[in-house]
This record gives sequence, C-alpha cells and structure tokens, in this order.
Amino acid sequence: MAGIDVGGHGSKRATNHDIPLIPFIDFLLCLVAFLLVTAVWSQMARINADARVPGPPSSDPPTEEKKEKHLHVEMRGERKFQLVWKEGSTVVNTIDVVRKQVNAGAEGEYRYPDLADKIKEEWTKNGTHRAASDKKLDQAVLHTDNSTPFSDVIAVIDAIYTPQRDFDFGGKTKKVASFNVTFAMN
Amino acid sequence: MSAEKPLSRFHQAISVPGRRLMHHIPLAFVRKKVLGGGGRAVNQEIPLIPFIDFLLCIVLFLLASFSASGELPIDKNVKLPKAENVIDMTDAPIVAITGTQILVDGNAAGSTRAIVEANRLQKIDDLFARLKAKRELWSQLNPGKPFPGVVVLQVDRKVPALVVKSVFQTAALGGFPNVSFMVGRLGGASSSGGGKE
Repeated sequence: MAGIDVGGHGSKRATNHDIPLIPFIDFLLCLVAFLLVTAVWSQMARINADARVPGPPSSDPPTEEKKEKHLHVEMRGERKFQLVWKEGSTVVNTIDVVRKQVNAGAEGEYRYPDLADKIKEEWTKNGTHRAASDKKLDQAVLHTDNSTPFSDVIAVIDAIYTPQRDFDFGGKTKKVASFNVTFAMN
Repeated sequence: MSAEKPLSRFHQAISVPGRRLMHHIPLAFVRKKVLGGGGRAVNQEIPLIPFIDFLLCIVLFLLASFSASGELPIDKNVKLPKAENVIDMTDAPIVAITGTQILVDGNAAGSTRAIVEANRLQKIDDLFARLKAKRELWSQLNPGKPFPGVVVLQVDRKVPALVVKSVFQTAALGGFPNVSFMVGRLGGASSSGGGKE
C-alpha cells in the first residue's frame, strides 16, 4: 500500500497516511467499464450527391458541345423503376426494373439488388467514362416523388453507386463509383 | 581410488577453503543477494503503480474518444439510413434535419414546416444565409484556396424527399454544391464507391 510520510513524530494525530490503492483501482476499473459501455464507436459514413452537372469545374477549356448520355432513374412508380438513357432531351433507351425490396438489416433497412444489377449491366453497355485517366463520371439523375421517404432515396442511390471503375488520383488508382448522382428538381 | 592413477582434473585433492568473495559486506540484504543465500521469496507483490498507470491511460484514451465522438453529433431522434457503397466522413459543415427543425452545425437555420405545407420545392432563406456566411468565413480564413463546397446532410430516414431536395437545392445555391448524405455502414462495408471523394 502506498503511503505518505511527512515526518512529525511528536504530534498526537498521525500524520502518516496510506493512500487506499485498492478502492482507487476499483474506481478506475468501474470508470473503464462505464466508458467502454457508453462509448459510441462511430460507424458513420457518407454517400455523395453532386449538384454540379455535368461535373465539377475543370481548368480545361470546353472543346465541343457534345450531348452526353445521362441515365435517368425514375423511382415514382409503385411497382417498377424506370431507367431511361437520354441524350439531351432525346430518349435513347428505356428499361423497366421490378421494384423488389430485399431486407438488409435488423432495423428495417432494405436494398434493391435487382436495380443495382441492372444499373451495373447498363453502365457496362452504355457508360461513356471508363478510363482511369478520365476525370469525368457518367451522370445519373434521380427522379423522386415528393413524399418518398429518405431511406428509399438512399437505397436507390446506393444501387446507382454499385458499378465502380478505376480513377486516377495523381498516379494512384482507386475504385470510385461510376456514376455521379444528382436530383431532378421537378 | 588407487594411488597409481594420475589425478584428473575431476579428481582433485580436498583443500582448506580460503576467503570467500563478498562475505564481509556489512549490509545483510546485499550479502544475502550476492551470495545467493535463502530461498526464493514466496510472497510476491503485485506492481500496483504500473497497473494504475495502465488503467489511467485507458481511462484517458476512452475519455478522448468519448469527446471525439461528439464531433459527429447525432440527434437521438434522428435515425439515419444505412448504405453499402459509402465513402469515409469528411470535415464539413453538417446540416441536420431533426423533426421540423433545420440545424447548421447545431444552430437553428429554418423549419421544414413551410415546405411541407406548400408541398413544393422551396429555397430556405435562413439556411441559405447561414451557409453563405460559412462560405464567406472560409474564404476569409483560406485566401486563394479553392472552396471545396462540401456539406454533409444528416437526415432522418422518414423525412420526405421534398424536404431533402429543398435543402439540397438551397445548399447548392448557398455555395455548397457537393452534398453528402450521412449514412450508417451496412454490413461493415469498406469505403469504396459512394461517389467521388
């Protein structure tokens, strides 16, 4: 047991004291247990959506006015999603995907794997920006109903981000989502 | 042992012991130690001081991480959706939509009530003003640097898309076009996809 000796043998009252180490250790152990139980191990992440369409500003001057194909994801239907490839206002192709939710967690989370697979397939067929050196991403535009819950929106954005491609970050290649998602403001 | 046999080095004559090393040290415990006398101590002392140091280190680490988790304040009423294709969090202003309130880094910046009642996309003036002020402050603090324009939206999973789109549009108008949605990681997914960082 640790002690404090301050000398002084003449006085009546004892001046030497023992520090009670065992209760102190008990207290520390309780504190550790409490902090471990209450600690929030943050599992937060983010999912991106960009309002800069057709992409972030570039230092390169625009070369030519070429209309790019954009993938419009229509999620207003109750039973199906509609994937529409458009060049400007011209519809190139329309694909219907059955709206099939699959549970993905204990807290009521769900995903749309069929939609994810179809988007991946469509990007493989029609995606424009594929090379790692290409700084632009293909654009996806999400059309939602005003009353659609946010969790549904995230499930669809998650599906849009399923196809991935290599992206060159100054000599270092990383996998990034093939699409850049934005909202249709209508 | 016969007398004819030569003495090997293993068979030496018994001689009278001479002076012993360390035998005259006055301190008893030192003599005991150096002579190797006595048995091994049965009573062992637990090194309490290093143990307490260790516990204090754990406590300090946990307290530090406890406060660090406060950097991402999540309202108890907000249930975030989860996603698989996500990217790591970034240091950016957080716009939270809690119930009917809109908060920018914990400060009130408008209400969602007007948007829901009007049932149409609206620019939220308070939010716009706060974000614009944040952008101007950043530009003053970092002159000459390109503004990243990143804002993180912390939205409850039940909030209607109309409100989300209104906040998204207002953020873009306020100079924050690179909008991220805070989500939980689904199934311990690694950080890839989820948009370009």
